[in-house]
Amino acid sequence: MRIDHLTELYERFKAKLEGVSGECYRVGTASEAGELICNVMLEKGIKNVALLKAPIFDKGNITYQIQSAGIKVYTDHFREVTPTADAGITKVNYAIAESGTLVQADADANVNQRLCSTLVPIHIALVSTSALITTLKETMAKLHQLPQIPGFVGFITGPSRTSDIERVLTIGVHGPKQLVVVFVDEQVEDVI
Amino acid sequence: MADKQFKKKISEALDNDVLRGALGRFGDAYTISRAKAYEGYDFKSISDNIAEVKSYAASHLEEMIDQFEQSATARGAKVFRASTGEDAKQYILDLAQRRDVKKIVKSKSMVSEEILLNKTLISAGISVQETDLGEWIVQLAGQHPSHMVLPAIHLTKEEVAHIFSGHLHKLNQPVIAELVKTAREELRKSFLEADMGISGANMAIAETGTLIMLTNEGNGRLTSTLPPVHVFLVGIEKLVPKFEDATHILQALPKSATGQQITSYVSMVTGPTPAYYSDGTVKDKEFHIILMDNGRRKMYHDEKFKKTFQCIRCASCLNVCPAFQLVGGHVYGHIYTGGIGTILTNFLNSEKDAQNPQNLCLQCGKCSEVCPGKLDIPQMILEIRNRMGEKEGLPFTQKFALDVVSNRRLFHSLLRVASIAQKPFTKGQPVIRHLPMFLSGLTEKKSLPAVAKVPFRDVFKTIKQDVKNPKGKIALYAGCLIDFVYPKIGEGVIVALNEKGYEVVFPEGQSCCGAPATYMGDRNNARKCAIMNIEALEAEKVDYVVSACPTCTHALKVSFKELLQDDPGLAARAEELSGKSKDFSKLLSDLGGLTPGGDGVPLKVTYHDSCHLKRSMGVYAEPRKILTDTSGVQLIEMKESDRCCGFAGSYSIKFPELSGPILERKLNNIEETGADAVVVDCPGCLMQISGGLDKRNPGIRVIHTAELLLEKRKKLKNKTK
Ligand code: SF4
Repeated sequence: MRIDHLTELYERFKAKLEGVSGECYRVGTASEAGELICNVMLEKGIKNVALLKAPIFDKGNITYQIQSAGIKVYTDHFREVTPTADAGITKVNYAIAESGTLVQADADANVNQRLCSTLVPIHIALVSTSALITTLKETMAKLHQLPQIPGFVGFITGPSRTSDIERVLTIGVHGPKQLVVVFVDEQVEDVI
Repeated sequence: MADKQFKKKISEALDNDVLRGALGRFGDAYTISRAKAYEGYDFKSISDNIAEVKSYAASHLEEMIDQFEQSATARGAKVFRASTGEDAKQYILDLAQRRDVKKIVKSKSMVSEEILLNKTLISAGISVQETDLGEWIVQLAGQHPSHMVLPAIHLTKEEVAHIFSGHLHKLNQPVIAELVKTAREELRKSFLEADMGISGANMAIAETGTLIMLTNEGNGRLTSTLPPVHVFLVGIEKLVPKFEDATHILQALPKSATGQQITSYVSMVTGPTPAYYSDGTVKDKEFHIILMDNGRRKMYHDEKFKKTFQCIRCASCLNVCPAFQLVGGHVYGHIYTGGIGTILTNFLNSEKDAQNPQNLCLQCGKCSEVCPGKLDIPQMILEIRNRMGEKEGLPFTQKFALDVVSNRRLFHSLLRVASIAQKPFTKGQPVIRHLPMFLSGLTEKKSLPAVAKVPFRDVFKTIKQDVKNPKGKIALYAGCLIDFVYPKIGEGVIVALNEKGYEVVFPEGQSCCGAPATYMGDRNNARKCAIMNIEALEAEKVDYVVSACPTCTHALKVSFKELLQDDPGLAARAEELSGKSKDFSKLLSDLGGLTPGGDGVPLKVTYHDSCHLKRSMGVYAEPRKILTDTSGVQLIEMKESDRCCGFAGSYSIKFPELSGPILERKLNNIEETGADAVVVDCPGCLMQISGGLDKRNPGIRVIHTAELLLEKRKKLKNKTK
């Protein structure tokens, strides 16, 4: 039942995200996530990536997998590396099915979370399938229930876009030009 | 009245094909994408929610501000209350100088445009970079935004390429993807180098001290991530009581503004967050919030304008406005454009600045229909117009005409003279031009009706009403156009109501409903008309009062009450009249409608919704039912049937150059249906549309619903006799 429900939410999320030019995947384990990410990056010709550490990356041995695929991984000095890195990988807290939206809500408002997901041309986001929330309304309630509203809460829905010149939709202005979302079913505790 | 220079700006805007093309295309696409974005959502309940939380904030404004300051301060923010734009600018300048700031990046902030912040900072030697693409283009071009959501909608890619080439000293091709790439590269440097960020917010949550920004490009995210000093410059109207109240605005704003489910980014900032300093260390940034008044409190303390607090700045009111679509934003003269912009300009700049643009409002009400904040924009503009009229007085000719209208005997004898005077002219064409007010002269694109030889008040006496055991009595309120120009409509009304078993009376003392005075800002004369008609109609003595002109019906139902609320005796009578007044098709349908029938002769018709009938009274199904119940009549819906025809009372005299193209669009939509006739329920629309068709396509007739019934059911009536 719960699984069915999550699958339904996932499908809704995927449809919404694809509607705004995002890519969406789902895998069973953290290790499979690593594999998928490697394939996606190789396909896109990514040579180096800024990765913001989180337990899920250790669990799936993801950093190692990426390095083994011949891609350079940066895990610190983000202020220097993110402006020129080919891509950024971060784990985000929630996903809203209603609109295909990712939610960054780290309690410590880690600035690197934002650097790795905003300055890079391609953002790859990992999120637990169980972190899917049905609606925007429920998401706002959930954020409100946290001990305090995190210093920075970021909703991300698809890549950066503009229609400021002649109302023509153009993808990729200040933020990423591509957004890849990978849902991971395996539960990994986030320790902050 | 609009002055010469303003008129010149209008004609320049109209001559700008680029602007008109862009605005026109956007207007059409907007309607579709907005509807799509709201699919599966209940717009009404979302906007009810917004109105509820925002009106709560508005009526507890000081409390909200205190609470916001407390919660934001508790999270480490410095909050400054700026009562004027000058205060805000000084605060930012001092801060920048204290921190030795050289480079500032800004993400969209209308408030900073409002107070011309850039000018202050730049003249202090600080570099200021707008980072929203549209704003940046406008900044480079040395202009100001023409639209709240789409600042550079008035420029083409060629113009943008030209602007870029000039400023960046390298040739830019007019290819949109390339131009966007250039912007990314150029602005990326600014983001990385900036030592201060300034941004606006879409919401400020009192409960938690949170600021919420919606952007698509990601500039809001970067501005609040990179520079070690961040200033939020926020108008006090952005306050929202509780964190979860933001949900409603998050639901509506992207859908209403750009037809998106949600913007690419929503950033919520609560207190200072860590940032990189130039020495490479990471620590909490310096974080300031300026809550600015600059004329706002005065607006929210004014009962008639309090609701402007509910505006979430989505700009949908601009996007659907027939006048805005023709002239664009720059004509409005100040930072806030369109209908809502006119109101804001009136308070945040000066009443004088609003004097010209307030004239652009057609009072068609389309904006209120789509407003997620439930603002009655036309009503507020009218209030501004009236206050101006009271303060400054109207120009002599207008004043004279309105004085005439509110003097029944004089007005009616002039009309009778006019009907004779027009004889020497062929077809009676030009005469109406000499009549007061909205009966007067128009454009070359339109021909004008003649004043009827015999006014309805005289025709009435000759109509035999054969009603046995009448069910009741209905007073007919004719209004100027039916009385003196289109008496046939009045006949149609009587015949239909007789068929329903009611006797119709025509109270002689009735006169102009005062709408011309109301819409031109002359409350005094409007009031006189209200009293005159309340006394004449004696609503106490009849079951209903019927009018076949929605503008008049609106006056009977709504305006009279408002105009007389200070006089208890008259107010009670106005209330009685209001309750009994109905527009013809509404009354007929409330009485159960006519038994379907007609002459069966095939007639293809299309229906035009009058602004007042559809939007003020919610009547649009009733007249259509009347039409489809009439045998022989085939109804073909036209595109945009409820879009204003451009008559709008005196508008067609004030702005023939705008009324003309608005009418033309209506005529195109009519012609597209291939109908033989356009049916309308408003004699004003009838005059406007038939004036246009007469010149362009005399094959298509324009006819009032009551008149159509009269024609199509004549035989039926004879048969049953
Ligand atoms: S007045 Fe209404 S429609 Fe216009 S910008 Fe404000 S909220 Fe939007």
